[in-house]
Amino acid sequence: MRCVIAFGLAMLVVLGAGLVPPAAAQTKDDTLVYALQSDVQNWDPPNSVLRESIILGYNVFDHLAARDLKTGKVGPSLALSWKNLDDTTWEVKLRPNVKFHDGTPFGAKDVKATFERVLNPENKLTARGNHAKIKSVEVVDDLTVRFKTDGPYPLFVERLTAQVMQSEKVIREKGHEWMQENPIGTGPYKLVRWNKKQEHFLQRNDDYWGPKPAFKYVRIRIIPEQATQIAELVSGGVDIIKAVPPDQMDVINKSGQARTVTSPILRTAMIQLDQAGRSGPNPMTDKRVRQAVNYATDMDGIIKHVLNGLADRTATTVNPMAFGYDPSIKPYKQDLAQAKKLLAEAGYPNGLEVGFMRGQPIVEPGLIQTSDAIVADLAKAGIRTKARMIGETGPFTNLVRDSKPDPMFEWSWGYYSIFDADAIFYDVMTCGQPYSYYCNKAFDDLVFQGRSTLDTKKRAEIYAKAQRMIHDDAAYLFKWGLRGVWGVSNRVDYDAPRDEVDRMWIVTPRKK
Amino acid sequence: MDRDAAEEVEISPRPGPLTLPSPQRERVRGGGPGRARAVMRRYIARQLVQFLVVILGISILAFAILHVLGDPVLLLLPQNAGKEEFERYRHLLGLDRPLYVQYWKFLSNAVVGNFGKSWYADTPAFRLVLERMPPTIYLTFAGLVVALLISLPLGILAALKRHSWVDNLCTTVAVAGQATPLFWLGIMMIIVFSVRLKLLPASGYDSWENFLMPSFCLGATLAPITMRLVRSGVIEVMNMDFIKTARAKGVAESRVVIKHAFRNACIPVITVIGLQFGQLLGGAIITETVFAWPGVATLTVESIRNQDFPVVQCAVILLALVIVSVNLIVDLAVAFIDPRIRTGA
Amino acid sequence: MTSLSEGKIDLVTLGDTAPAAARERASLRRLGRVRWGLAAGFVLLLIVASAVFAPWIAPHDPLAVNIRHRLGPPAWMDGGVPAHPLGTDQVGRDLLSRMIYGGRVSLMVGICSVLMSASIGVLLGLTAGYFGGSLDWSIMTLVNVMLTFPFVLLALAVIAVLGPSLVNMIFVLGVAGWPIYTRVVRAEAMAVREREFVLAGRALGMSHLRIIFRQILPNLTSAIVVIATLQVAQVIIAESFLSFLGLGIQPPTPAWGNMLGEGRLYMLNSWWIATFPGLAIFVTTLMINLMGNALRDWLDPHMKL
Repeated sequence: MRCVIAFGLAMLVVLGAGLVPPAAAQTKDDTLVYALQSDVQNWDPPNSVLRESIILGYNVFDHLAARDLKTGKVGPSLALSWKNLDDTTWEVKLRPNVKFHDGTPFGAKDVKATFERVLNPENKLTARGNHAKIKSVEVVDDLTVRFKTDGPYPLFVERLTAQVMQSEKVIREKGHEWMQENPIGTGPYKLVRWNKKQEHFLQRNDDYWGPKPAFKYVRIRIIPEQATQIAELVSGGVDIIKAVPPDQMDVINKSGQARTVTSPILRTAMIQLDQAGRSGPNPMTDKRVRQAVNYATDMDGIIKHVLNGLADRTATTVNPMAFGYDPSIKPYKQDLAQAKKLLAEAGYPNGLEVGFMRGQPIVEPGLIQTSDAIVADLAKAGIRTKARMIGETGPFTNLVRDSKPDPMFEWSWGYYSIFDADAIFYDVMTCGQPYSYYCNKAFDDLVFQGRSTLDTKKRAEIYAKAQRMIHDDAAYLFKWGLRGVWGVSNRVDYDAPRDEVDRMWIVTPRKK
Repeated sequence: MDRDAAEEVEISPRPGPLTLPSPQRERVRGGGPGRARAVMRRYIARQLVQFLVVILGISILAFAILHVLGDPVLLLLPQNAGKEEFERYRHLLGLDRPLYVQYWKFLSNAVVGNFGKSWYADTPAFRLVLERMPPTIYLTFAGLVVALLISLPLGILAALKRHSWVDNLCTTVAVAGQATPLFWLGIMMIIVFSVRLKLLPASGYDSWENFLMPSFCLGATLAPITMRLVRSGVIEVMNMDFIKTARAKGVAESRVVIKHAFRNACIPVITVIGLQFGQLLGGAIITETVFAWPGVATLTVESIRNQDFPVVQCAVILLALVIVSVNLIVDLAVAFIDPRIRTGA
Repeated sequence: MTSLSEGKIDLVTLGDTAPAAARERASLRRLGRVRWGLAAGFVLLLIVASAVFAPWIAPHDPLAVNIRHRLGPPAWMDGGVPAHPLGTDQVGRDLLSRMIYGGRVSLMVGICSVLMSASIGVLLGLTAGYFGGSLDWSIMTLVNVMLTFPFVLLALAVIAVLGPSLVNMIFVLGVAGWPIYTRVVRAEAMAVREREFVLAGRALGMSHLRIIFRQILPNLTSAIVVIATLQVAQVIIAESFLSFLGLGIQPPTPAWGNMLGEGRLYMLNSWWIATFPGLAIFVTTLMINLMGNALRDWLDPHMKL
């Protein structure tokens, strides 16, 4: 009898333990569910280069200026107006009656504190390169700020859309560590809970100065497998997913439960080649090898067949939508004979082996298949790649930052949503930047010239020259400008954002 | 021993209380409750010693895997770092000390829960792993429940109706079940129940509905082997003399089954449960990856992909700890129920 | 007796009622199972043959990427072509060819790692069982430690450090699988070493080695063969799981596991990419299990396995 009792008790305990629901689910009508493939490493946007951080940052913080999605123009947000007093001074007037989530009023001191923190080289924040031209920030009065720049700074206004405003009180009293997990912003949602690598839970900020969000709660679920994301979308578990692979679009559109929306986006894909030799001695330091790599691949074919045409071929790393794009430069056309010839000239008559670091298709749909096709093309020319797969973007970008990738690695850049060639040149192609593996002094000179004059015509010429330079030098293996594909549940209304930022507060339930 | 029963008994994948070699054999001498308690205490003590030895062995294994098979410094530093950098880091991490010194440091840290910081998340590895333990444990138990719900009735039924079509059907299904890859079953279930039928959520960890598919998957994979073990256990018991005695005495068949057979079949069944817990955890690892379950297994796989070794080490040790503890509890429970086992007779 | 057994619970205890007839029934059942085993063995032979002769059988190069023909359905469906009987995958590689070559990987991993496990395990088991004492104790403690770890977990941990590759997988799975042999072999060795012919051999001055290999080991071969056969199936599933996770055979080398992993995204439209490898794993494992069970029945039905 003892046995039966013991057994029965054990079963009860087991059953009880097994069925405890871990968290109460919110009712569906007031909750918007958004899926991310990879979690952010922190909630401090200036301290991250990940697109996920930018997106989450937009929803919890505000910027001084914001892009109007319909016109594409930069308009007021936390700043109401701005003008340049002279070539190197900008004066910005701020919006009154704005409060942070903790009740502190927003003012000029917060702008100053935010920028000074970012610009301080000791803080080692990744956003520093974005604003390096700003020399100082002065408080004129509570609602007026004056910026002094290091020479003329043409991108000043554009870049105002790329820096979230953080609270001076928080920076001073709580410090860096606390800020990594506790975002205090002025934005339409506040962070209620973060289960790392699992989900974020946002709640509407009812004191928001701007348009009131339709959904009271936002649940951001981290779902690493794309197959699972799609399954969840078509079964009603998730409302919005991004970076849908083009060959799965028909599954979503035929499901009756969801649809896809697309838009060209700023994000440009490329494969970085270690010309600078940061990862050690490697074949990519030779221009002929890099050119051979570009000649070996049939990018047009890959766009047509693998991405179903959903990409825009680029001759360099500059996106067609960005200022400074030069359409007269023709991209490399596949020429295997030329590739082999160049390799032989470079001393590799029998081809060569090279490491290739690859990642998951988190922001670049179809990445695995397109890279597979690229690998096959390269092999035809004798370039044998050895792949190393890294699972998450955070660790991937860390390896790049710490000079530990392979001589070839996948890369894409969202320009921080700034429609200007400088936004990619500086961070991704100049000497010494953490995510740049190209170092060419002549090119650097052009980049600095481009960001130091306010004359748009002159800037266009400089950038055209710069593009021709990197094209001829085959700086990287150039690919294409992406088209973003979102999967959207039929219960909500949402348009594809061309700046790749998912704004939760503009999503509305669909009228029945 | 009945031939058919012998055919069906599978290799037990884990040592039970009967198999640890003991230098001396104890014999029960005389009687009395004091003697029995002493025997019990001695048994518990032996089991605890075995427990500690196994834990120690696991820690050595986990340590060896990282420090002997791999080179932590190579993994930490950029590829083009100079030789001096390597030496400096090696000294910094204490890797130039002899292995047993390193091991002692590792062990003393591990005992207080210090496994170092995760190389990517910058939080202590121990905390990360502990946070993700509950979903894994819940899933394992849920899988166990499902496995038992399937295998107990079927196993007993198959044993009682041996060689009938019921038995053959069960055996066939069991063999087929053992050949089905678990991750394959999971993917198919998601497609059928989430995408096509829209009955159950495809992933996540919110409510009881999320438990249904993963635990069924997990249980269904373990059920075949469990069923066969239960079946042979029950057959073994049914053939014992006291059953024949009861029948000869004219006891009603149902009473024979329920009162005598079942009660004694409990022992092999509980032992089976204990044996399978380690296998279940292994299956949970597979299930978690398919269903995006926020447990230790998915954490381990991610950490392996990101080469985040402190987390991998910590997860492996803690999981092993759980298994060994469960085994210990099962051993003690079985010993509690069946006095013969304590003496090793 | 009859009133108890009629209609309700079939109490077949050999030696009680009509012994000859009952034994005959048992033999027939065994024969039936052996027949299944033969059929399974035949299918398995086909699978192994296709793996061995892969370069001659496979219609295409399994690594030949052709993006113009990606996601092609199997030949019998709309849009399928006879040139690709099972269709093409997400970069246009022929699925049938990849399946055949994938079989090579699975079988190679299975056989090599089981050979490794068996060698280590049997040697250690013989040592532990025959020599006894502290050697026995230390080996068995090691066995206990290793049996505590789930196979999968141990494999994951070692791959984490060594990195994914074919050789590492064989090594890992080989090292993770030896304890099972040790326990069985040790038990047998301990039993046999007390037998008269062994004692006689010692008295005559036979060396330990001779006794072990001439007198003890031959009794064990059937057990070892059965365990090894069944373990091949386990290893194939373990390998395919590791490859599915991306921690085993790396793409583009075809392995059933990584084909399943890559094809997972396409389950809802191009289902064939993942379905056929899954089927291959299932069928192969099933055949091995059937054959293994039949082997056990045939070699030694008394085997307490």
